[in-house]
Amino acid sequence: MKTPREILLERHQTAATKLDTIRQEVVEVAADVNRRKQPVCELTFAAALANAIRLSFLELIWPCRRTWTALAAVWILIFIFNFSQRDKLELAARKLPPPSPEAVMAWRQQERLLAELIGSSGTGDAEQRKIFLPQPRSEGCMGNFFMT
Amino acid sequence: MLVVAEREQLPVPQAKAGEPEAWDILFRRYQLPLYVYVFELVHDEQTSLDLVQETFIAAVRHIGDLRDDAKFGSWLFSIAHQKCLQRWRKQSREEVLLDEIPESADESENNPDDLLIRQEQEVEFMNLLDQLPLPQRSVLLLHFVEDFSLEEIAGITGAVVGTVKSRLHYAKKSLRKLLEEKE
Repeated sequence: MKTPREILLERHQTAATKLDTIRQEVVEVAADVNRRKQPVCELTFAAALANAIRLSFLELIWPCRRTWTALAAVWILIFIFNFSQRDKLELAARKLPPPSPEAVMAWRQQERLLAELIGSSGTGDAEQRKIFLPQPRSEGCMGNFFMT
Repeated sequence: MLVVAEREQLPVPQAKAGEPEAWDILFRRYQLPLYVYVFELVHDEQTSLDLVQETFIAAVRHIGDLRDDAKFGSWLFSIAHQKCLQRWRKQSREEVLLDEIPESADESENNPDDLLIRQEQEVEFMNLLDQLPLPQRSVLLLHFVEDFSLEEIAGITGAVVGTVKSRLHYAKKSLRKLLEEKE
């Protein structure tokens, strides 16, 4: 015959190793807390900084370690995805065949045409600006007449 | 058979003074009972380990708030209980604690050893324990694992002594009834 306590404790005895690890970690925290209580002049700046980092890690990061790990994993995945996409684009650009002479010709023709169009509109503007220069009324009218 | 008959001398003042060795002794003493209590409430190993760790860290940080050193055990369990409640609130399962029981218990049943279980009934006992409503299970575990007094259990669970008494009575009654039925 066993008491309920005996049954319950025996049933969870397997967790003892993990609990020992937890205990050791928390005892270290207790030691840190104790050290922090000591006079500040005894601590160097580096030691204080290390303590602060360690404590903030234990109090902020460690309790939510699974969340932080998941976030880190997501960031790593995003980074890998971006990196692989960039590689693919570069490869695709490199793998493109050189344009055919016909396409180059057509492209240059288009360019020329565009340049002409822009050039003509540019001269047109210049001419118009000339036209609207202040002139005596009679000359202006005559000028307009001859231009049209 | 004695459960936790006499209150042992624990190095609580030394822990208050910040001695890591004292903390080691205290945690060594309570780690398994605390884990049993939390596990039997949450039924998840990793969550239970996390909650035990959080409880220990909170104890280190707030040991200054403990007025009566003799109540270290119940104080530690009350932290664990609060951590469990916080976890449930996060998971929106507050309703599990809402089933109240009328306060009408007799004065007997103060000894956790009055319920002895045969070896072939152990699995059955654990299954029956899981079937109990959470408030009853919580009270029963505190009673079985650490033999806390009704006042201490009331302090841990935040219920009044009368409610604790009735919960314990009904929990033991249902457990005994279920065990008898299985025989």
